[in-house]
Amino acid sequence: MKKYDVVIVGAGIAGMTAAIYAVRAGKSVLVLEETMQGGQIINTINIENWPGDMGVTGAELSQKIYQQMLELGVEMEYEKVLELNKSAEFNSEIDARDGVRACYNVKTDETEYLASAVIIATGTEPRKLSDEMMADVGKRPVSYCATCDGALYKNKTVVVVGHGNSAKHEVKYLEGICAKVYNIHHDEPIPEDAEAVFVAIGRVPNTEFLSGVVDLDDAGYVVSDESCHTSALGVFVAGDCRTKGLRQLVTAASDGSIAATEAVKYLS
Amino acid sequence: MELLDFYADWCGPCQMMKPVVEEFEKTHPDLKVTRVNIDDEEELAEKYGVSGIPCLVFLKDGEEVAREVGVVPAKKLEKIYEKI
Repeated sequence: MKKYDVVIVGAGIAGMTAAIYAVRAGKSVLVLEETMQGGQIINTINIENWPGDMGVTGAELSQKIYQQMLELGVEMEYEKVLELNKSAEFNSEIDARDGVRACYNVKTDETEYLASAVIIATGTEPRKLSDEMMADVGKRPVSYCATCDGALYKNKTVVVVGHGNSAKHEVKYLEGICAKVYNIHHDEPIPEDAEAVFVAIGRVPNTEFLSGVVDLDDAGYVVSDESCHTSALGVFVAGDCRTKGLRQLVTAASDGSIAATEAVKYLS
Repeated sequence: MELLDFYADWCGPCQMMKPVVEEFEKTHPDLKVTRVNIDDEEELAEKYGVSGIPCLVFLKDGEEVAREVGVVPAKKLEKIYEKI
């Protein structure tokens, strides 16, 4: 089984920044990503709040950080993490190293890794429609990103589910493209003439695999603070999946640097 | 075997998929890859019922045998290709 000083789960802005900091501190680093580096930001076309690169696209920014990370020597695998467990060596390592170093077994859909420290940077994903709503949707396409898929419904009738800020944004965007845009709450019936359903009913953290490993709040966010420590020894958290006030690119990057620095401190 | 890669210039996830598909094309010389800009070729997108992009459609003798919507790493693309 391959062993790394730091295994990072998730290659969004938080995870990739953590990787850059950890590898620059001389640690061996593996990043595990289920789908694609960049995370949520790849859906954004025009970023105006990332300092120093006005108007950069999320895809460009993601690729730049990804390349930087690889050039510095970070390893990356596209695998889904299924479980995080204290390894058999956990206790012996604690004994051997004066109670400071844990060891985790990271199980993915392909293999397993050993990690002396783990950084969780799994982000959030769009909250899905309920099964009842999905039955109502039937065979109509469902999208969680109007800017990605809106143009496929030029001059057609669509519906946006949700009434928060992001839903309002989706409605406004689609009104510029579609013939008619309904806007309903998440418990209202889908209009019959809607050809596609756009969903914007909030986001949920990707932390299911952590239940019982670290403390989660009621909404599933990893309980932490600006120190990026979790309730488990040797497990740190960065980015949108932790309890925090402001979820932005810069705070994700900030978390990444802190989580990596804390992990390095913990390992030394 | 043929691969239709439906994309649009304004689609961020499509930009992420571009190098993945290009690399896949290089390593599979037997695969004919066609990049379809859905803004220029609305009819083709409609014919294949493309409801979200990026959308990769694998064709065997002109018949659709697999489809993947959204970003997908090269490794998964390889697995899909092995199966068909």
